[in-house]
Amino acid sequence: MHAPVRKLSLVVVGAVLGALIAASPALAGNAGFAPVTPDSPNAHTITDAYWFITGFALFVLVGVEGLLVTFIVRYRRRNRARDAEGPQIHGSTRLENMWTLIPVVILVAVAAFVFVKLPGIKNVPSANAAAGRLEVTVSGQQFSWQFTYPNGAVAIDHLRVPLGEPVHLTVTAPNWDVIHSWWIPALGGKIDAIPGRLNHTWFTARKLGTFSGRCAELCGVQHAAMLMTVEVLPRDQFEQWEARRAQQQTSGTARDTLGEEEWTGSCGKCHGLAGQGLYGPRIAGSGTLQDETALTKLLRNGLERPGRPAMPPVGREWSQDQLDALGAYLKERFGSQS
Amino acid sequence: MVARAETVAIPQWQRGKLASWLVTVDHKRIGILYIATAGFFFLAGGIMAELIRTQLMRPDQTIVTRGDYNQLVTIHGTTMIFLVVVPVLTGLANFLVPLMIGAPDMAFPRLNALSYWLYLLAGVVLMLSFWAKGGAACAGWTSYPPLSTQCPGHGQDLWILSLHILGISSLIGAINFIVTIHNMRAPGMTWMRIPLFVWSIEVFAWLLVLVIPTIAAGVTMLLLDRQAGTHFFAPSHQGPILYQHAFWFFGHPEVYIMILPAMGIISEILPVFARKPIFGYKAIALSTVAIGFFSMLVWAHHMFTVGLPNYLNGFFMLSSMVIAVPTGMKIFNWLATLWRGNISLDTPMLYALGFLSVFTIGGLSGIYLAAFPVDWQVHDTYFVVAHFHYVLFGGSIFGILGGLFYWWPKIFGRFLDDRLGKWSFWFVFVGFNVTFFPQHMLGLMGMVRRIYTYQEHGLWEGYNMTSTIGSYVMSFGLLLFAVAVVKSLNGIRAGNDPWRADTLEWYTTSPPPAHNFDSVPYVTSARPLNDLRRALQEKRAL
Repeated sequence: MHAPVRKLSLVVVGAVLGALIAASPALAGNAGFAPVTPDSPNAHTITDAYWFITGFALFVLVGVEGLLVTFIVRYRRRNRARDAEGPQIHGSTRLENMWTLIPVVILVAVAAFVFVKLPGIKNVPSANAAAGRLEVTVSGQQFSWQFTYPNGAVAIDHLRVPLGEPVHLTVTAPNWDVIHSWWIPALGGKIDAIPGRLNHTWFTARKLGTFSGRCAELCGVQHAAMLMTVEVLPRDQFEQWEARRAQQQTSGTARDTLGEEEWTGSCGKCHGLAGQGLYGPRIAGSGTLQDETALTKLLRNGLERPGRPAMPPVGREWSQDQLDALGAYLKERFGSQS
Repeated sequence: MVARAETVAIPQWQRGKLASWLVTVDHKRIGILYIATAGFFFLAGGIMAELIRTQLMRPDQTIVTRGDYNQLVTIHGTTMIFLVVVPVLTGLANFLVPLMIGAPDMAFPRLNALSYWLYLLAGVVLMLSFWAKGGAACAGWTSYPPLSTQCPGHGQDLWILSLHILGISSLIGAINFIVTIHNMRAPGMTWMRIPLFVWSIEVFAWLLVLVIPTIAAGVTMLLLDRQAGTHFFAPSHQGPILYQHAFWFFGHPEVYIMILPAMGIISEILPVFARKPIFGYKAIALSTVAIGFFSMLVWAHHMFTVGLPNYLNGFFMLSSMVIAVPTGMKIFNWLATLWRGNISLDTPMLYALGFLSVFTIGGLSGIYLAAFPVDWQVHDTYFVVAHFHYVLFGGSIFGILGGLFYWWPKIFGRFLDDRLGKWSFWFVFVGFNVTFFPQHMLGLMGMVRRIYTYQEHGLWEGYNMTSTIGSYVMSFGLLLFAVAVVKSLNGIRAGNDPWRADTLEWYTTSPPPAHNFDSVPYVTSARPLNDLRRALQEKRAL
């Protein structure tokens, strides 16, 4: 390389590196320059992999863009003749080998990092004495998430879990539904909820609080409304909640809790939170809401309307407890209107 | 010969200004038809893009409804890929390949015309599907079942029909290119002497032949599931995943179908405006073939979140990373071509250099997607949207715009205005980066693809607003390009070889006559015109 080029490229590379270092506090504050601050070991390891790749990526980026700018500045025409020929160099085997080999080394490093870290990201930790393991079935449906706990407790869109305990999620979607994708950024990567398939993922929340996420696979008109939250509770509070929800379901008093969740998650997203009609028609004041048989039939079968969007059979797989909870909620909420 | 020419005299009715274009089988006119038609579809797809960006500018907007939004996303993607990038490249290749290899036309001129008219028909079908019962298709350009089997109305069926017609058009065109390149090269033009753009079209055509059958089969099964009650993609036997395999076995090579010819364009422009031979001709040619081959072994990196076993995810990570090597090779060879050159910054060169700078970013963000645990975080988010716009807009479209500025004088005999061209470049270049760079951040922050609105304020709103403003700046730049096109009707006339280029298309007149060449020189290297100029100089020196 010619001496002036070497000097100039050093200046350019130095300037870019300097700018990056100056910007690093902003990057550390993570304004979208890295995955959402992880609060679970698997998400944490993914973020490590992200930074590992970023190191190499920045190196290549600065190198390539630096050379590009340097060459453009250094070798621009200025007052040379437009057709003055440059040196007639046709290639160099040594250089070809070099820039084949260096990327190979970088990519091998990245792949090795991924394979070494993979078990810590993918494998569901086994239950241990200190903290058991919570098993939850997650079912994605147009346009809500249903969570089923080992004791039969059901929740919609709002998953409650205990702090510091591994949570194993079995993610699926009903056979009559479409593909969805489970993703809480702070608690790990995505896993698709695919009809006819059981997928697995896990997280161990390390912080109390609420984490939010969205369905990540286009699933129809209300895809954007398919939001979900994970609430991390202290262990005793979680156990109380889980027992109470299961007990309310069986005793038929779940109308204010599960019933409301079902209304908000399964009905409200298409018919409006007040039943005023949104994408689906207005249902407030409809007799079906008070008619147990008609309601069950509708929830189990959905509704085909020729030429218009169909209502999915949101309650086809609901237990009698779930149907009762919604029925009781609707009676209480809309009973006086009709 | 003479007597024969008299007997097939062109009938009177075919000589009209319009009729002559309708019945043409001349590869140059067909090429122009392709490019112009793709230009109109680009406008349509661009309007859809601006509707999308305007809707997403701020939280909770209602510029378009949620149902319409899904249609816009679907048709924008389908349009840009199938009706803009691939056809405009086909158009350039149609015009250039015979000229570059010294042939009088494509091998099958009538099939060539059929290819174009089928493409136009497919485009019209797709555009009109907005007015079909139930609106256009709305399951995304990937149209995954079961969502796509459940879509009401006829939009999805018309989408399938459009893809079927396009598939036939592309297959016919690809076979035509392969036969032409294999059989009609000028005397002396061995495989190591064909222009790099022709190499890229050779691989482009083979990829089309190899992968279009799988998408054709995939969407046929989709159509049968929708209309004939079959259960190819039923959940009971992992059907939804079967479709994804069929789709991406086509879909990923499709990405290279769109980028390889753009890379070919860059390989033609850089040496001419740096006044040097291309650095590492063989390496670039072979890397094109290598990318083409490996592109068919990476498809499931689009499926890392469906829950495939580790060994499959691992295989597809490694194969995806393998592609980075020949791609890097190209970039370094292009940089080395600039080294010690005499660089003229005319508009074609600006776009080519712009391609180098932004394609590198798109290539690097691809490494994150290949490392599958990281992909679990960024898959189906705006990070991916940013990535593929960096390679498809920053890559393909920048290459295409550069190529249009470069070959316009050959195609029409007049230059595109260089000053307007430079303005257009800077607006497009800056607008492009302002639009798509913040989308990386949005994706990492949790903004998923294909949502019609969001509720978050703060940085989400800031980045979305920035992105939308960038898209307006970019559109203004493209508008300037359109103005340059109109102005070129009275543009500066070009001679045979205005850029002092190296390849055969510059040997004939601008625009070339119907039969292309009166005579073709014997080709002794990959730079026949450079050889001729040198021979001429030596003769003078004697």
